[in-house]
Amino acid sequence: MNPPVVPVLAELAGLLMKNAMPGVPEAERASDLSLSAMLLLVAGEMWDRQAHILVEENRAVRALLGETGEDADLHISALKAENDRLRAALIEAQAAAEAAGDAARQDAIWAELAASTERRKLSTAPV
Amino acid sequence: MSHPLEPRLAAYIAGKLPGATDVAVTALERISGGASRETYRFVLDWSEGGEARSRRLILRRDPPASLIDTERRVEFEAYRAFAGSSVPVPEMLWLEEGDEALDHPFFIAEEIAGYQASPQMLLSGAFDAVLPMLAERKWTILGEIAKADPAPLARWMEAPPLDGCWKRELDHWEALIDKDQAEPLPVTRAAIRWLRANPPPPAQKLSIVHGDYRTGNFLFDEAGQIHGVLDWEMSHLGDPLEDLGWSLQPIWSFGRAGQAGGLCSPADAVAIWERASGLKADPKALHWWTLFNCVKGQGIWVGSAAAFNRGGNRAPIMIYPAWWLINAQDRAMLQLMGKL
Repeated sequence: MNPPVVPVLAELAGLLMKNAMPGVPEAERASDLSLSAMLLLVAGEMWDRQAHILVEENRAVRALLGETGEDADLHISALKAENDRLRAALIEAQAAAEAAGDAARQDAIWAELAASTERRKLSTAPV
Repeated sequence: MSHPLEPRLAAYIAGKLPGATDVAVTALERISGGASRETYRFVLDWSEGGEARSRRLILRRDPPASLIDTERRVEFEAYRAFAGSSVPVPEMLWLEEGDEALDHPFFIAEEIAGYQASPQMLLSGAFDAVLPMLAERKWTILGEIAKADPAPLARWMEAPPLDGCWKRELDHWEALIDKDQAEPLPVTRAAIRWLRANPPPPAQKLSIVHGDYRTGNFLFDEAGQIHGVLDWEMSHLGDPLEDLGWSLQPIWSFGRAGQAGGLCSPADAVAIWERASGLKADPKALHWWTLFNCVKGQGIWVGSAAAFNRGGNRAPIMIYPAWWLINAQDRAMLQLMGKL
C-alpha cells in the first residue's frame, strides 16, 4: 500500500482527535470524517491479506528471476522492502525479454503481473 | 461560527469593487474533494448605488502541496476562453497570483448552483433514464472543445508541433512518475515502453485539451443536461484525441465495466465525439491515447501518495486516490494491452 498503512493510521488518528474538538467547520468535518471512514475500511480490508499477498508475490517473482530463498522477516515493512527489490528486478527482466524477443519469458512475466493485480485488488476497485 | 478566511476574503474583494460598500463574505465552506485546489463556496453581499446585492461565488485556492502541480493562471484562462460559448463554464472574476491576500494564490468565480457533480450519485440508478442524454451532451461538449480555436490560449500555453504532442505528454508524465514513485511499477513501466515503441500519428489539429474531462467533472441535472464543465487545471494545447482517451480510460467507468464514463459504450461515445468535433478518431491512435492516459492517471495517483509521504499535504484526499486507484490503474493498463 502506498502511502504505507502505519503513517496513514497515525494521520487519521490525529484528524479524528481534531474533529472531536469544537470549532471545526461542519463541511470540513463531514469531508474529513467521511474520507477517513473510507480509508479505515480499505485498511481493514488489507489488514489480513497484506502479509500473505507479499509472501506469495515475492515467492512468484523469485521463481521468475531464478532466485532461491524465502521471506524470514514477516514484518510488513520487511516484506515490502523485499517486494520492491524483486519488482525492480522484474522490470529489468521484462525489458530484457522484450529486447531479446523471448515471447515465452514475456508471457510468464505478464501472467505474474496480471496475478499480482488480482492479489492486490480491493473489493471496491473500479477495475 | 464564521470561517477565519471570510474577513480576509471580504477585504480582498472590497479592493476589487471600488463602487461597493458593506462588502461581506458569509457561509464560506469547503467543498469535499479538490485534491489539486482547495475549493470553497461562499456568499458575497455588498451595496452599490444604494442597492443591496448578493452573489454566490467559488474560491479556488492553491493548497500547500497538490495532487497535481499546475498554474492557476492556465486554469483561469482556459475557463475564460470558453465564456459565452457552447461549452458551459462558470464566469471567472478575479485571479490573484500572490500569497499576500490569502496565503496562497487563488481565483474567484461564479458558483453554478443547484446541480450535481458526484459520479456516485449519477451512477446510483436514480439517473439511469437520462444517462443516454448525458452521454450525448458529455461527448458533444468534448467535441466542441476539440473543435475550438486554440489561438486565444497560445499566450498562456505552449503550442507543441502536431507530431510532438504525444512525446511532450509522455515525457512529462514519465518524469513525474520517476520523481514521485515510492515503489517499482512494472505494469506502468511496460506500458511506457510500449507507448514509446508504437507512437501515434501526428495530431489532426492542435486543440485545447481539458486534461481531466471525465464523469465527475461536470455539473448535471435530473433532465440529463450539463450546466458547467469544471476542473480545467490540467488544460493545455495538444492532440484532441488525448481528451477523448482520458474520457474512455477504464478507471472512469466507476465499476461499470465496458461503459465509457459509466454512461454508454465506448463506440457510442466516439461516434458522438466525431459528429460534434468533425474530427476522426483513428482506432489505433485512440488506443495509444487511452493507454497513455492510464499512465497519466498513474502519475497522478503516485503523485498524490508522494505529496502525503513527503509531508507536504497530509489530507485524507491525498491518500484515497492512491490506495483506491494505483492497482486499479495497473489493471486498466493490462486490459488495454490485452493481458487481463
